[in-house]
Amino acid sequence: MANTLRPYLTCIRNTLAAAMCLQNFPCQEVERHNKPEVEFKTSPELLLNPVLICRNEAEKCLIETSINSLRISIKVKQADELENILAKKFLRFLSMRAEAFQVLRRKPVQGYDISFLITNYHCEEMYKHKLIDFIVQFMEDIDKEISELKLSVNTRGRLVAKEFLKQFT
Amino acid sequence: MAAVAAHQLGQCITCHAWNADLSMVAVCTNNNEVHIYRASPDGNSIWDRIYILQKHDQLVSGIDWGTRLNKIVTVSHDRNSYVWSLEGTEWMPTLVILRLNRAAICVKWSPRENKFAVGSGAKSVCICYYEQDNNWWVSKLIRKKHNSTVTSVAWHPNNVLLATTSTDGKCRVFSTFIRGVDTRDSTVGPSGDMKFGEQLVQLDLSFSWTFGVKWSPSGSSIAYVGHNSTIYFIDDVGPSACAQTVAFSGLPLRDVLFLSERVVVGVGYDCNPMLFIADNRGTWSFVKFLDEKKSSPASSKYGSQFSEAFGKFYGQAKHGANIDAVEPSKAPGGSHENCITCILPLPYPGETTVKRFSTSGLDGKVVIWELSNLNNLFSQLAI
Repeated sequence: MANTLRPYLTCIRNTLAAAMCLQNFPCQEVERHNKPEVEFKTSPELLLNPVLICRNEAEKCLIETSINSLRISIKVKQADELENILAKKFLRFLSMRAEAFQVLRRKPVQGYDISFLITNYHCEEMYKHKLIDFIVQFMEDIDKEISELKLSVNTRGRLVAKEFLKQFT
Repeated sequence: MAAVAAHQLGQCITCHAWNADLSMVAVCTNNNEVHIYRASPDGNSIWDRIYILQKHDQLVSGIDWGTRLNKIVTVSHDRNSYVWSLEGTEWMPTLVILRLNRAAICVKWSPRENKFAVGSGAKSVCICYYEQDNNWWVSKLIRKKHNSTVTSVAWHPNNVLLATTSTDGKCRVFSTFIRGVDTRDSTVGPSGDMKFGEQLVQLDLSFSWTFGVKWSPSGSSIAYVGHNSTIYFIDDVGPSACAQTVAFSGLPLRDVLFLSERVVVGVGYDCNPMLFIADNRGTWSFVKFLDEKKSSPASSKYGSQFSEAFGKFYGQAKHGANIDAVEPSKAPGGSHENCITCILPLPYPGETTVKRFSTSGLDGKVVIWELSNLNNLFSQLAI
């Protein structure tokens, strides 16, 4: 299992490096506006083909690029119901604090668990390679975090059950 | 062959322009101001800011400094343009009504500096000229020819032809003949009998957005770049044009510069200028990157190799799964640390080949480059 994570993340890293060629671009449709084209999709010629990278059915990553912005949507692994609930709660917790992360989107794209929106302003303020590292690190950590959460929930469940059943002995 | 000097002038630089004798440089630091520095292209010069031009109220997207009349033209996302002229010790602005309803993107003085061209997000190009009677800059529009934003404009040396690139992936050449401004004898060749705004050539080579069009010094060729990591060279622009496409493996380019008829430098997202040279048969090819990257000390030393292996082993023992993770990507490590957006020639007086140029990028640096051994490269290429 672990040895397929590496090509998956390398693929995402290389795709992001190629996709993160953004520039300042004022809106063509509305006067004096400047907004991420990937969100509004008003001019089809300013969008590039989206790239979908799948590790398996449950884990995939969609990278949509436009001239001045880039959207990364991630679906994290959810093997059972418990993981599903944990992922949902955990990512909701993060999304509600999206301001603190700058590149995090408040709502994920439909069909995905979490989305990032990187604009040309982020690329101007931050190092591109650090941004890519952040995304890849995030993807690496999220799986780890969820399996750790799952373990602690199970441990706690076992402890509680044990204590509860003690009264019947 | 390397960077001579680098000057950090802000967090981000969108564009810059030099004056005629290269003693001053105007830069836009990614906001609504234009800063003018007393500068010099020499290696260890110290630049200091002498003027701040403040008139625009949105990002300044283009600056060009006329070398003949010493006038600066600036355009901005606020849809306006100003022509600045130095009166005494003050720069005086003159508003140019562009009649645009979207942001202006780029600007260039014509070779004779009686006109300038503005590319815009309104899918049109403005040709502005000075009307003596009204003491006013007048703008004429080339409309309904582009299907998307005009990303860059370039003037042919004959002062009439204008090449444009656009995000619809095409490169076009227009005639900008204006009665009363241009005289018939000033135009050369077949462009003489063209009306204003007539499209002479449309090049549909790229599958993606196009940027950074430039004419060669003689005006016989055009070079421009596509966002799909390609550069296009068009020789003998006209009915019998011959196009060459050179694809390369790096990230896309943003701007190009002709050093001579056969040498082109391209800059872009790789943060490292790329040199393209045409051989004797006129075939263009990528030659090399100009920046020497500071490579990490070679691992030839026995000690370092050992500690590296040890570190790997130790990391594996401690973290287990972590060794599986992808190693962090490397910093560019060259003179520029972010995308280079602008490249300008710094000619030595009386020389035809450009051997020196300056680049500015989103990392807030202006870097001066000097090419010393161009002839060596040519001889290498011949072999």
